[in-house]
Amino acid sequence: MSAQRRIGEPILVVEDVSLSFGGVRALANVSFDVREHEIRAIIGPNGAGKSSMLNVINGVYHPQTGTVTYRGVKRHRVHPHEAARQGIARTFQNIALFKGMTVLDNIMTGRNLKTRTSFLEQAIWIGRARREELEQRRKVEEVIDFLEIQHVRKTPVGRLPYGLQKRVELARALAAEPDLLLLDEPMAGMNIEEKQDMCRFVLSVNEEYGTTIVLIEHDMGVVMDLSDRVVVLDYGKLLADGTPDAVRANQAVIDAYLGVKH
Amino acid sequence: MLYREAGQFKATYAEDQQIFPIRQDRIAITALLLVAFLVIPFVASDYWLKAILIPFLIFSLAALGLNILTGYAGQLSLGTAGFMAVGAFAAYNFELRVEWMPILVSWALGGLAAALVGIVFGLPSLRIKGFYLAVATLAAQFFIVWALTKFPWFSNYSSSGVITTGKTEIFGYVFDSPREKYLLVLAIVVLMALAAKNMVRSETGRAWMAVRDMDVAAEVVGIRMMHTKLLAFAVSSFYCGVAGALYAYAYIGTVEPEGFNLDLSFRILFMIIIGGVGSILGSFLGAGFIILFPIFLNSYADPIAHALGIDLPPGMTSNLELMIFGALIIFFLAVEPHGLARLWQIGKEKLRLWPFPH
Repeated sequence: MSAQRRIGEPILVVEDVSLSFGGVRALANVSFDVREHEIRAIIGPNGAGKSSMLNVINGVYHPQTGTVTYRGVKRHRVHPHEAARQGIARTFQNIALFKGMTVLDNIMTGRNLKTRTSFLEQAIWIGRARREELEQRRKVEEVIDFLEIQHVRKTPVGRLPYGLQKRVELARALAAEPDLLLLDEPMAGMNIEEKQDMCRFVLSVNEEYGTTIVLIEHDMGVVMDLSDRVVVLDYGKLLADGTPDAVRANQAVIDAYLGVKH
Repeated sequence: MLYREAGQFKATYAEDQQIFPIRQDRIAITALLLVAFLVIPFVASDYWLKAILIPFLIFSLAALGLNILTGYAGQLSLGTAGFMAVGAFAAYNFELRVEWMPILVSWALGGLAAALVGIVFGLPSLRIKGFYLAVATLAAQFFIVWALTKFPWFSNYSSSGVITTGKTEIFGYVFDSPREKYLLVLAIVVLMALAAKNMVRSETGRAWMAVRDMDVAAEVVGIRMMHTKLLAFAVSSFYCGVAGALYAYAYIGTVEPEGFNLDLSFRILFMIIIGGVGSILGSFLGAGFIILFPIFLNSYADPIAHALGIDLPPGMTSNLELMIFGALIIFFLAVEPHGLARLWQIGKEKLRLWPFPH
């Protein structure tokens, strides 16, 4: 079955969203939707508002106007931890791992919402807390296997090379078993092999778990190959929205992003 | 050679997640506990038990409490002694005013009272961080000591503001001698240290550390900031409160609010800086160091100075103590922020590989 046929109804609808910081307009009347199971790319030049868009989706920023509808529910001032509860996970452009903790602990933290025991049960340890901890560990090991980072599981994340840190961050997001995964430049600063690995992981996550993915990426080859549909932002405005081929052929996009022909 | 884990394979996650995954460590900690429970009480003199070992255990517990808050959850606090005072005075009042209450329950309630006060003074942590939060907890320190002095009800209208604790009786058995008190304190401290270790190695501890390391990312993975920070304040203050109650009941016997002053808060902060921030073991190492070092200096500073041909002026040893502590704290902050516990860990890692360099 091809990816196109699995794609379902929109699960995230962004309507007319505007966001400004003082006099700077980061986003101006942006509307688009994300369908279930699809890989949706957001592209645009630096400062176009791509990361701001992700921050609006998972509640780090609150837009001044416009609405975000997730799974048919219109949201009002959602906090990031509530967004996480609704099944939205993300990675950051600048790696946001917990530096003092090991790879394993970082990924285990991604499962915090699956924990049912209270701190008192955890203090006593014997019984439910222990069983639950082992169950979480089993799930985390699945993610570790999936992303092929078994050899570093006990290493403090600060000691890992950049590419692996990015992968651990993806692992932490995946450990939450999200419905919607936001990836902010997952391949930035990687060499070609690391990029290929990361593409493989993004595609497998989408195919095996059916996770809907919104990703920001600068590597056009990657974007065109991976994504089902592409949103193009420029100076906070929506420039184009469509399939990779349609976007590639769009004259406004070519002018603004890929360069004006001389 | 002895400290090798070759051949110790872990076949289950449970084996891999033990507190001491290496067999030699398990043997060492068992031996240490056996000595602490079965040998020391019969070997150590009353002076050692009363003046060194009991305060060592009590300060370890207080340092452990502060370490939960500062080392694991990353919230700097200068109110440790204040929370200890709440524990001591609350336990005293529970014992005094509710006659049937068993002593262990009144100590636990002392801890809970400290936890409540800790939550109140932890509220500013939701808005401010680091240095400014330290100033806010400083307010807790001064306010608590002031309130305990100002309202004589807390000290049962004693004219000097000093409280004298009653006897420690559990199920009709009176813990009177230093040996009995030592064993009681030891049991409580071991149990609470184990509980702390269990918390920091499970979800609670990971949430604390996530908030400490990067709060934005912590929120994005679903950790509730308010709940996590206030829980750290509550648990930390509970530990400090119980330490305060033990300080009053098992160590000093008569305490006044001024005994829990800012100096004491700083002493406990120094314990975790020297011992190791974010380490359970570090709390014990730091407390041991800060309690034993002055004693060592008192006994040996003069002979060492003589041997070197220097005459120390009288009173010099106590100044020496301050100077050496100051130098050590600067050293640890600059060179090894994770303290003695980290040095211990590095030593163990080296030992695993010895005699090979890699």
